[in-house]
Amino acid sequence: MKLSKEWMLGLIFLGLFIIMAVCVPGFIDPYNLTSMLYQLPELGILSLGMMVVILTAGIDLSITYLAALSGVVMAYALTAGLPVPVAMIAGIIAALIGGLLNGFFVAFIGVSPILVTLGTMTLFKGIILLITKGNSVSGFPDSYSFIGNGDILGIPFPIIVFAVIALLAWYLLNKTVWGRSVYMAGNNPIATLFSGVNTKKVIMYVYLFSALMAAIAAIIMTSRYNSAKVDLGSSYQLQSIAVAVLGGTSISGGYGKVIGVIFGTAIFQVLSSGLNLLGVPGMVINILIGVVLIAVLLINFFTAKYKHNQLKKAT
Amino acid sequence: MTKLFQKKEFGIGLIVILLALILSVVNPVFFTAENILDVLKANSVLGILAVGMTLIIITGGIDVSVAAVTAAVTVVIGKLAVAMHGNSWSILAIFIVAPLVGACFGFVNGILIAKTKIPPIVTSLGTMSILSGITLYVTNGEYMNSSMLPASFIQFSNFKIAGVSILIIIFLLTVLITWFVMKYLAIGRSILSFGGNPVSAMRVGINLTKVQIFVYTYMGFLAGIAAIVQTAYTKGVDPNGFAGFELTVIAAVVLGGANILGGSGSMLGSFLGVLLLGIMQNGLILAKINTFWQEIIVGAIILLAVSYDMIKRKREERSLAKVEVEG
Repeated sequence: MKLSKEWMLGLIFLGLFIIMAVCVPGFIDPYNLTSMLYQLPELGILSLGMMVVILTAGIDLSITYLAALSGVVMAYALTAGLPVPVAMIAGIIAALIGGLLNGFFVAFIGVSPILVTLGTMTLFKGIILLITKGNSVSGFPDSYSFIGNGDILGIPFPIIVFAVIALLAWYLLNKTVWGRSVYMAGNNPIATLFSGVNTKKVIMYVYLFSALMAAIAAIIMTSRYNSAKVDLGSSYQLQSIAVAVLGGTSISGGYGKVIGVIFGTAIFQVLSSGLNLLGVPGMVINILIGVVLIAVLLINFFTAKYKHNQLKKAT
Repeated sequence: MTKLFQKKEFGIGLIVILLALILSVVNPVFFTAENILDVLKANSVLGILAVGMTLIIITGGIDVSVAAVTAAVTVVIGKLAVAMHGNSWSILAIFIVAPLVGACFGFVNGILIAKTKIPPIVTSLGTMSILSGITLYVTNGEYMNSSMLPASFIQFSNFKIAGVSILIIIFLLTVLITWFVMKYLAIGRSILSFGGNPVSAMRVGINLTKVQIFVYTYMGFLAGIAAIVQTAYTKGVDPNGFAGFELTVIAAVVLGGANILGGSGSMLGSFLGVLLLGIMQNGLILAKINTFWQEIIVGAIILLAVSYDMIKRKREERSLAKVEVEG
């Protein structure tokens, strides 16, 4: 029986879940389980955006500031009395403009993604600070709070959004020409270009996709916290990279699966909420997340080495 | 003279000079010795870290844990000062322990990256998360003020040679020594060759593992020194003081012309990159520009500088390709 990297991760998640359920009092309490389902989608959606960028051997350091920018725009639109859908569209447009900027510099000028997004991150942060003067914007209509806090037949609404987004991402990556081109561009950009794929366009859409994910995460976050400010979700910046990598995405591009990211997010969530219930302080959870990241990478390294040695012996 | 124009650092040098000229017209305070020394002093920590980051980027790597390492070492300095309170040897202990602890952290990064071939950005992301978590857990995020530091350390931080603060001298010495290492010592040449073309470097017999372990350990060592300088500059220990600073360090190095994919980068360039960021910040304050604009301007300049560099590089490649075809 051979298990892929992703399903191995699924087993780790299951094991972790059972350990937490047995050892941590209150972990399988319905209240705790639903609250995890409310918290998890933000990081999950951002990580999906990050994964698609990493597939092309890129990285998007600006993703959380894109989310904050779009969140602030939505917040202003809402407090100005605009209807909820209009405010959401305004936020999405703000994020897409940011994504366009990232995509333009990466795809058309050819600057390395880490530098572009480093620059745009500072830029977006500055713009948000200029608009908000560092204050938080709050006071949204009641109907808006449904998105982050409501449920349909007992199922938290954010997790439904996450499920839809994950399915959409899976479909886009596996069943469309664009999706296949993303993997190809990550594996071998030159060969992809020579086989007639407009890699520039493919990469442009990758950054637009991550911007869209940032906007959707921003909608959930602003609704859940009932406010928006410059550091909206800023702790997810490096966490989303960690989740993508934990989920099996190759940081040098070309490989990564939606299901891996979902398991990666779930492992993060189970770890942090289980430890939280045990009264472990937040900083220690940070330490453990770092340890888990490095441990998973080391396991990957040693299993690859072991397989390599086995192959050598066989030949 | 034409050689000077062809130099990679010429572009950024010109920008630094132009910016300085504009600023001295806008506000005459800018061009006073006092202000210039202030700029250098305020950016000593950034400069020292940028030196180490330059070497790492030349090898094609990156270290996002530098800020976490520096913050961790400042906390070690603070704890050491408290533990040895009143002991006259405490300053010596700080000077020995800080670089050593930093080097140890760097060594761990180096071993992980060199031995397991996990991409540097992911490895250092992991160590960053672990280290900053430990730092915050140990300190509870609390600030330590100057009363904790030994009197001799305060004396050291105010020490000046010919009117130049000791902190600036440490920064300049770091740049000079590293420049010397890169230019004249075998390990420096190996770093450059490894970054330029790893395959041929290995064929010549350069040990890739050794080079990687060296650059990350050296980065940690410099982070230890930067921690001493930071503690002396702020006369206190702030465990949260470095959040996000790793990206500023990377920005300075890249502005200085280092190629993020490896192979090129220089001490002079990174020094100018640090100056550019420092002067910009100082100038925006002197020109009384709203602080909210500062981040926007810094972001825009990073984008413009890296795009300019890329466009120039592409043009050079194209002209090289032409020569090849015609020849």
